[in-house]
Amino acid sequence: MDSLQATLLFVVMAPGVVFGVLALLWLLGWAPTERVLSRITGVTFSASIFALALIVWKLGATGAPSVTVTLGNWFAVHDYHFPLVFLADRLSLPFLGLTVVLSGLIGQFSATYLHRDCGFLRFFLLLHLFAFGSLLAFAAGSFDLLVGGWEMVGITSVLLIAFFQQRTAPVENGLRVFAVYRACDIGLLLGVFAMHRWAGTASFSSGLPDLTGTQSVTVCLLLLLAAAGKAAQIPFSGWLPRAMEGPTPSSAIFYGAISIHAGAYLLLRIQPMLTQSPLTSALVIAIGMITAIHGTIVGRASADAKTSLAYASLTQVGVVFVEIGMGWKWIAVAHILGHATVRTLQFLRAPSMLHDYHKMHSAIGGELSPTGKHLEDLIPEPVQLWLYRWALDRGHLDTILDRIVIHPLIRLSNLFAKLDTLGLDQSASRREEVALSMQRSASQGGD
Amino acid sequence: MAAAGMILSVVAISVPWAAAILAAVTRRQARAIGFVAASVSVLASALLLHAAPVKTSLGEALMVLFSCLAVVAMLVIPRRDCNSPTVAGMLFLLGSTLLAYSTENLLVLLVAWILTTIPFFLPQLFLARTWRPRLGLLLSSIALGLAIGLIAANSHGMSIGQLKGRSPGGITVFGLLIAAVIFRKGICPAHAWVADAAEGGPAIPTALLLNGHFGALLVAKLIVPLFPHATHDLFPVLSYLALATALYVAIRALTENSPRRLLAFLALSQSACILAGLESRTAEGMTGALVHWFVVTASTMGLFGILRLLEVRFGENLTASQHLGLAEHAPRLAVFFVIFGLALVGLPGTLSFCSQDLLIHGTLASHPQTGLLLPIAIAMNAVSIFRLFTRLFLGKRRTGFTVMADALLRERWILTAGVLFVVLGGLFPNAIVVLRPVDVETVEQVIDSPAHPNQRPLERAVSNSQTPSKSAK
Repeated sequence: MDSLQATLLFVVMAPGVVFGVLALLWLLGWAPTERVLSRITGVTFSASIFALALIVWKLGATGAPSVTVTLGNWFAVHDYHFPLVFLADRLSLPFLGLTVVLSGLIGQFSATYLHRDCGFLRFFLLLHLFAFGSLLAFAAGSFDLLVGGWEMVGITSVLLIAFFQQRTAPVENGLRVFAVYRACDIGLLLGVFAMHRWAGTASFSSGLPDLTGTQSVTVCLLLLLAAAGKAAQIPFSGWLPRAMEGPTPSSAIFYGAISIHAGAYLLLRIQPMLTQSPLTSALVIAIGMITAIHGTIVGRASADAKTSLAYASLTQVGVVFVEIGMGWKWIAVAHILGHATVRTLQFLRAPSMLHDYHKMHSAIGGELSPTGKHLEDLIPEPVQLWLYRWALDRGHLDTILDRIVIHPLIRLSNLFAKLDTLGLDQSASRREEVALSMQRSASQGGD
Repeated sequence: MAAAGMILSVVAISVPWAAAILAAVTRRQARAIGFVAASVSVLASALLLHAAPVKTSLGEALMVLFSCLAVVAMLVIPRRDCNSPTVAGMLFLLGSTLLAYSTENLLVLLVAWILTTIPFFLPQLFLARTWRPRLGLLLSSIALGLAIGLIAANSHGMSIGQLKGRSPGGITVFGLLIAAVIFRKGICPAHAWVADAAEGGPAIPTALLLNGHFGALLVAKLIVPLFPHATHDLFPVLSYLALATALYVAIRALTENSPRRLLAFLALSQSACILAGLESRTAEGMTGALVHWFVVTASTMGLFGILRLLEVRFGENLTASQHLGLAEHAPRLAVFFVIFGLALVGLPGTLSFCSQDLLIHGTLASHPQTGLLLPIAIAMNAVSIFRLFTRLFLGKRRTGFTVMADALLRERWILTAGVLFVVLGGLFPNAIVVLRPVDVETVEQVIDSPAHPNQRPLERAVSNSQTPSKSAK
């Protein structure tokens, strides 16, 4: 292993090791102070940024397209292997950079923002775990490894949504988001299985698995399900406003920057496969376009800053999906980088938005001129009213999902519960009858 | 060498039994007696595993696992429950289970099978409040007894080694053995007793009983080796039933509000996956099933243990119908719970990520249509366990508790050891995957048989796979 490969491994592993050590020590009874924790976080991400810069500089200097680290198989059974391959190429490096820079930034911001919060340690542990999961997903050289990072991001996302655990709403919303994530991750699991089944590998460190036309379309559709779930695209957009219950720094990094773009990253990874099939490309474009329109309409009717930012984020990710579907890979990457940084800033400033506005108004000596309303100018007023009602319920997406999936499942579960207790109830009533008849006969005998 | 193995087996089995008598008679220092006896079993089983031939060490690997589980149970059981009868009952269960794992004789297996159920029929020990657990255990024992009786009537030997591949007793015995598996394992439609046992009986001994996984043991040890030809045509039925159980129970768990019942459903659903993997007849599926066996055992014991600790601290009437906010009082127990819970359903970085990956690949490869149920069931189980976690631990802080309710030092260390097992196992899964303690020879016969020409030959699998060395163990 050369120094470049070791550096890449350091970048990916550093937050994971910090998380593991701190979590273990806490479980055994030790709790670090806020200062120690923020310093450890600062040092970890500063070192990671430096190491990543070194990788970029070395790759630029040598002209190599990528750095690959192969650590053999994590486990192997028969002809099925789980390869431990890390890859830093022109696609993953921007995402890796985004992750370490924004995680470090969020760490520094949160040291002040969450000062003396009872969940300070929990937040920082989850931040490290999230960074590890994201880096694992973006630096994975195989879809198997990507699944690991992908699910880790999902778990941390959910635990941070439920961060303010004393209130019921964040906890219930966290559960809802978790359910959507797990349902959509089935697509990823099946997609990876299909690649193993048909191509014998799910590694993409030396090119995507070799699949035929139909196979390729099937895999793309399965991975699109996972990507749409993670990126809150239609019809899964309902979870995004629920995710705003978490602390603002985590909303910024998850739904403004990294997690929300993980779905786009997955599609960018399989883009050669996507372009082979007009059907899947068209589907990606359609999903992105509908989501963008949905996001912009619902965002306009959102009453709070974080939710409207979330929908603005959703709109942009929808546009990114369209770009990917069109085959404009590098435009999509540039769009993601720009959008992630701007949106993170907006999220972080959201709690002090009014203060910022007042400062700006003072600076220019008056009110800012209103922007937007392009859509309002185009749409007739009766339609606007109808759209407003539609937007207030966030496009009825949650209601539809409830009616089609959740309520039938709950009814089925209740039916199973009745079936389970059927025998017990009958026997209990029979026992009661027997006891009653015995009492009666005893009383008759007594008489 | 054989004599040494015999001595170690006798030590591993008889020490818990002797300690059970000692605990019952002396009625003092029950936890210490239980811990020492279970530790001796761990040591003896580990030496047995070390000496056992590779690929035929299923019994020895399970002996180590179960005796480790008994050590955990002895340490994690709260003081309120840690009385002489309970410890004696658990030690009796340990000795009987190890006897079942270690024996190659059908009659001894039957005796051990029945012995493991006896504490659950005695009111002084682990009798459940409802009748269904007793009926389930009784029917499974009757089915196995009849099967072994018919085998004894139709053949001259009672050794599993002698009977391999002979289909003794034909389809009737095969059917009876499957019935025994269904009743003991809690496969649909005989699943209800498991939840009843968990709810109406003592939590930790019941977790020990369920984690004996006698149904899966019967499949791996008896059904597949003895009935390779019947396995061809009829065994998939059991797989379909197992997958249906995994899904049925996962759906059932979605609205369950009793924490104990919910955990029992999850344990049942996840352990049904073990059967599906064993039946998949692919190297991935079978290995995944055996690794999953380890995961389910460790995780469910951790979860039931934590739940019992919570009941002791906060009252027996815990419910998942509302948010109880216990994390404020017991933050470490909350973290242990969520780790064990998510480890049960495939959290990346834990051993179950590896086992479920293998299980899904194996099951989908052998049953592309019904295999789809497996990831769906696992996803539902994940939602249910997370729901239980949120309802128990999150929400508004409950007032009125003045005691320090978090994990005690003893509990903290033993639960940390459990967490380290599932996490280190997840980071280095090959250490467990290469154990591959399955006797694959009979499975090779099944798959290479002309009755199923389209099956992938496991012979190639075995020759291609890494042959584990003694040092790898």
